[in-house]
Amino acid sequence: MERETLDVDVLVVGGGPAGLAAAYRLARLNEERGGEPLMVAVLEKARAAGAHLLSGAVLDPSALSELMPDWKDRGAPLDVPVRDDRIYFLTARRALPFPVTPPPLRNHGHHVVSLNRVVKWLGEQVEAAGVDVFTGFSGTELLYEGDRVVGVRTGDRGIDRHGERKSAFEPGVDIRARVTVLADGVRGNLTKTLIGRFDLDAGRSPQSYAIGIKELWDVDPGRLAAGSVIHTMGHPLRFEEFGGGFIYALPAGRLAVGFVAGLDYRDPLFDPHVAFQRFKRHPLVANLLAGGQMVRYGAKALPEGGWHAIPRCHVDGALIVGDAAGFLNSMRLKGIHLAMRSGMHAADVAFGAVRANDVSARRLSEYARLVEEGPIRRELYPVRNVHQSFAGGLLPGLLFSGMSLLTGGWWFRDPMPSHAGHERTRRIEQYYRGAPPEPPGVPIDRALTFDRLTNVHYSGTRHDEDQPSHLLVADTDICRTRCIEEYRNPCTRFCPANVYEIVDADAGEGKRLQINASNCVHCKTCDIMDPYQIIDWVPPEGGGGPSYEGM
Amino acid sequence: MKIAVCIKQVVTRDWPLRAAESAKWVRDDDASFEMNEPDAYALEEALRLKERHGGEVVVCSAGPSRVSQVIREALARGADRAVHVASDALSTAGADTVASALAGAMRDESFDLVLTGLQSDDQGFGQTGVVLAERLGLPHATIIMEVDVAADGGSLRVKRELESGWFQWLSLPLPALLTIQSGINQLRYATLRGIMAAKRKEIRTVPMENAEARGQRILELYVPEKASATRFIDGPAPEAARELVRLLREEARVL
Repeated sequence: MERETLDVDVLVVGGGPAGLAAAYRLARLNEERGGEPLMVAVLEKARAAGAHLLSGAVLDPSALSELMPDWKDRGAPLDVPVRDDRIYFLTARRALPFPVTPPPLRNHGHHVVSLNRVVKWLGEQVEAAGVDVFTGFSGTELLYEGDRVVGVRTGDRGIDRHGERKSAFEPGVDIRARVTVLADGVRGNLTKTLIGRFDLDAGRSPQSYAIGIKELWDVDPGRLAAGSVIHTMGHPLRFEEFGGGFIYALPAGRLAVGFVAGLDYRDPLFDPHVAFQRFKRHPLVANLLAGGQMVRYGAKALPEGGWHAIPRCHVDGALIVGDAAGFLNSMRLKGIHLAMRSGMHAADVAFGAVRANDVSARRLSEYARLVEEGPIRRELYPVRNVHQSFAGGLLPGLLFSGMSLLTGGWWFRDPMPSHAGHERTRRIEQYYRGAPPEPPGVPIDRALTFDRLTNVHYSGTRHDEDQPSHLLVADTDICRTRCIEEYRNPCTRFCPANVYEIVDADAGEGKRLQINASNCVHCKTCDIMDPYQIIDWVPPEGGGGPSYEGM
Repeated sequence: MKIAVCIKQVVTRDWPLRAAESAKWVRDDDASFEMNEPDAYALEEALRLKERHGGEVVVCSAGPSRVSQVIREALARGADRAVHVASDALSTAGADTVASALAGAMRDESFDLVLTGLQSDDQGFGQTGVVLAERLGLPHATIIMEVDVAADGGSLRVKRELESGWFQWLSLPLPALLTIQSGINQLRYATLRGIMAAKRKEIRTVPMENAEARGQRILELYVPEKASATRFIDGPAPEAARELVRLLREEARVL
């Protein structure tokens, strides 16, 4: 069967805030500048725009207002302005309010949103502006001519679990583009290969990540006024662990409840899912959720490394934007507006480059200049060492964060040295120096707390079962020989969707790894956090994955 | 051959369902929706018939504006154009109302063949196709597993699924209506070119003629109470076993 090809001027891979902002900006430029319009297309692996993304979310509308000044008239679902901000330090039983909300966490003028709904709406605007948005197609490899990126190949569809073609087999399409904008999100599969091929992170700090787990709850309306924003630190995390909880109130008694845990923990037995359940059992949270109903669940990694961890984002024929590049302000807990901003910069540069018939890295380096000289650096540079400072624990981190508001983020060593998160995980015998104690489990009552499988059900995740596993583990022998001894298979804990299970071997003695790939919520945590770096997340057949409607 | 395919948009199969506050329907304000699965097989069958016999495939759907999602999906897979009977009242309507709405919009098109899915994944009455046939004055056959068009193009030979692994072959003249069983064919994927082409295809939106609900209404929708009662049977094992058999036979009626 012959492979189809499609030629476009600019291909955006990923229909999230960054990718759609780029596409919308390109459509506007087509209109404003006149002449032969550039052909723009967006590829999105989810069945619908916004179905695979997950955020709190409190949206800073600055970038959106510049992208689309009339967003209000166009019905943007930004209906809840933030009305108050509270921040608590949690002990096991008590919630100690911070006397003042630190400036980076003040959200006046921002909006509590469902990012899924915002992005779904933005996707409609992009389509109405004349851009082809292809949902249900994953980009599986970059196409090159020499060292120039010339587009993306989409995944084959209709391959069975043994790798054989089914009767509906449909080969992937080569979409050839003058400029490819990679907006494939946190730990994007294409960006990962591009960074590897050209050492784009040479001389940069290693990217660090966190995992965010979130549930939507319906509770008595009136329990928490819509627009209320609560952040917590402390319990159930220890001082050595980075992270915290959030509760954002949407209208009609809907609460977004979530927990972010740094993927740089030392304790090999740490379990983000359990930490989230323990967070919900804290009286502050439990009282808000009592009698309510959990209606949706999801999880996604987020880039936390900040300014020093952003790779070079331009090569011949391609640009990297949004979470894929790491444009996220971990001090403000915000990335959507930076993602959109980076998409807009990329659009400006790509448009000019295509018109000038020069898509070389030199020409596209204009993008780096816009990032350097614009609002992105202004926001990220002063907090460039904040996440790294938490490597020493919560207290030094808080101290440094507070100080950096005065010093502009200066430190004796800049960048402050840091390690990739997975390198910080200690082996059992290193961390516990003997038999580890029973980890702090959590009672699962299926009212307030849930097991992973129940949660996955509420993520709406669905994959065609008859396809090859999209989680490639290079050497499963390591799992049952070394990892089980050294780390006790942390994949079974850091995966929030029960994809990885250690089960009894079919024949004989011992254990083996079982991969429940169809549970995968595409959070990318395994690709990031596996201590041996032998897990490779590749996209499953297009359309598969979670369904984060309303999240 | 001019073929119509009726498709319905339903809440995604694995969406966790909850009753709406009105207790008349499920909460679907931010549900995810998809094409009713049996209708997807009907569409595929229509596309295959068109490939063999030529003609045109017209997608017909009755529902609120959100159904444009499944209409566009059908156009992307290869349908030629669409008719959308638009009304918010149709989102929870029963078979009679939907069939009447469709019939009003389809009558003047004079289709040679109308295909529907066997039933919908939400209400599951399996009646829309049958009532529609009546409204259009067409002969119909249900639970169709195979469709052969006669050489002269004037009639059909179709295979129906009966109970217990039995099948029935029957012939009927064209024009006719068939309700298609899931699994009759292998669904195709929408292609990039199909999606691009779909943008230029015509979607004719028509208002619903008679907007009030007809026939039946949903009075109440609720999640069944889970009742699990455990009863212990005391006594020595042989007697307890006899008692267990008696209870299974007379009370539980499973033996």
